[in-house]
Amino acid sequence: MSDASGNFNRTQYRLGFWLLLAPIVLWLSLLIILPHIDMVLVSLRERIASRQYGFSFGNYTAFFTEPLYWNTFVRTAVMSIVATVLTLIIAFPVSFYIAKVLTGRPRIALFILCLLPFWVSELVRTYGWMILLRETGLISGALQWFGLADQPVEMLYNDVAIMVGLIYTSMLFMVVPLVTTLDSLDNSLIEAGYDLGGSSWNVMRSIVIPHAMPGIMSGCIVVFMLTLGNYLTPTLLGGKSSLWFTEQIYTQFITRFNWEQGAAFGILLLILSSLIVWLGLKITRQSFTRVMS
Amino acid sequence: MSDQACALGVDAGVQEDLACTLLSKHFGEFAAVDGVSFSIPRGAFFSILGPSGCGKTTLLRMLAGFQQPDSGDILIKGKSVLNTPPNKRPVNMVFQHLALFPTMSVAENIAYGLKRKGIPKREHATLIDEVLAKVHLPGFGDKRIDQLSGGQKQRVAIARCLVLNPAVLLLDEPLGALDLKLREQMKIELKRLQREFNTTFVYITHDQSEALVMSDQVAVMNKGRFEQVGTPQELYYQPKTAFVAGFVGDSNQYAGKVQSQSGDLVTLVTEQGVRLLSHANQPLVAGSPITLFVRPEVMQISTSRPATEQDNCLAVTVSRVLFDGAQSRVQVETAEGAELTVALPQTADFQALEAGRSVHVSWQASQCLCFPAPADTKPPGAP
Repeated sequence: MSDASGNFNRTQYRLGFWLLLAPIVLWLSLLIILPHIDMVLVSLRERIASRQYGFSFGNYTAFFTEPLYWNTFVRTAVMSIVATVLTLIIAFPVSFYIAKVLTGRPRIALFILCLLPFWVSELVRTYGWMILLRETGLISGALQWFGLADQPVEMLYNDVAIMVGLIYTSMLFMVVPLVTTLDSLDNSLIEAGYDLGGSSWNVMRSIVIPHAMPGIMSGCIVVFMLTLGNYLTPTLLGGKSSLWFTEQIYTQFITRFNWEQGAAFGILLLILSSLIVWLGLKITRQSFTRVMS
Repeated sequence: MSDQACALGVDAGVQEDLACTLLSKHFGEFAAVDGVSFSIPRGAFFSILGPSGCGKTTLLRMLAGFQQPDSGDILIKGKSVLNTPPNKRPVNMVFQHLALFPTMSVAENIAYGLKRKGIPKREHATLIDEVLAKVHLPGFGDKRIDQLSGGQKQRVAIARCLVLNPAVLLLDEPLGALDLKLREQMKIELKRLQREFNTTFVYITHDQSEALVMSDQVAVMNKGRFEQVGTPQELYYQPKTAFVAGFVGDSNQYAGKVQSQSGDLVTLVTEQGVRLLSHANQPLVAGSPITLFVRPEVMQISTSRPATEQDNCLAVTVSRVLFDGAQSRVQVETAEGAELTVALPQTADFQALEAGRSVHVSWQASQCLCFPAPADTKPPGAP
């Protein structure tokens, strides 16, 4: 009797386990794994005639033989790395200030201030930057009013505008992990660093940054991924000259109906981002599990 | 109270490593440290003993430079360090939770201070090996901090400071996190290290046993002031204030009124109406409220009335035997209802002692002390 009920309990427990696991399994398999397998398959075929496809590496060789494609590819990667580094440089002092200098109400207030821009959509935020930067925009107007410029200044549609937009969009994703790791740093470690004769720079370099390394890396990974895969910001702020790799993918899929080429680009972007993240972890000697926990 | 502390430094020949004059620190209305003056002779083990919230941590943080005093001065080796930032002061601190750098190995933790001091790198290895040998951790340099036990971490934290040869080593209750056995060992170990390195230690603690066992001098601190500074023996046998008498060591405390005084001898009546004789080190007004302190170990317990004449002798009933090995005690009650805790001698006579037995408790007037009762509050640490 008790054995039977024990069995029943165990069955029930296992059923519960699978039911709880089901959403994530479905999500992963239906929305992530299956589409990617299909993408790989699509990228490896070539249209021979109408509705006739054959196996080919043509889409990948096209990428390497057409300089525009891989130039855009390299440019996107470099710009994303630069944006990630700049975001880190700006976010670190802000996070340190929030986590270690402020306490109580001002601390919460400043954290919410960082969060606030993310209550409106990315589109609206990007339009905000356009209002500021465009030829007839606020900054241009102000420069003319102060007499610093004698004609409207166009500040949109260049790399700096893209960079500004990307950093602004990514800020929060760097600040949150940094504040969390810096918060977990015991203040007495910082004091001990000073007590043993260290200058502020020594303390920062030998104690704070090594401690914050997992947070720095997880922030960098998230920001890098978001930047690399960003479509809206480079397109709106960079205009035609933005040359962002996601735009190439979009063009292949939507404008040219060349799904095979688009899929190949998608796979290449995936490989690129994985490779750079892996390299970043290797260089900083961090493990992926530690960074993500 | 701080004037007694000042007296310490008057001994002219002694060179001082650390001296404070009228040091004060207020947080809003609250005086955390209130006009504290003291000086510590070179190579002494100086403890600051006080209950939590008495301002001892604030005092220590001012010495280390993490907090600025509102007034007063701090002199290290005769020079004021008020305008010296913590990283330039010739003092080092062992933090309450040690604050070892978890991202560095033991050797790197020790090397951190050496690098900052500008000691050439080739000398590091020798210095680290030397100091690790002195704290009895030879060959531990390559270990990670999380591989060490609690006691080993203590030693590394101390080694990390002592390798820099500070004028003064500040210790902020570093033994608090250890279990009892280890704490007992570390007390002896700390004393040994202090003697070996011949460095001035300033040790703050709320644990009187730590202070009494290790220190050359102890300052008892209460409400931001030093109540008394003296050797452990002085504090224990000649407390100058009611607070010290109550805080250092265990005491039976009774509220009572002065009946008469002749010289040092006071006749008093406790609240329960027991008439007792006591020693007093100050003139007391007849009828004024006082607090009487009697240590459990000065009272003699006997099954019959003692043959020799005792100043105080009470017939009491055992209400409870508190067995704790060598520290065993008996709680007894007088006919009037006054409770006393008496140390139980480890002799065969008292092994069969049980609740309900009638015994006699006696002690000499010179072995107990009374102080004027504070106007409103109960004496601290009253049972």
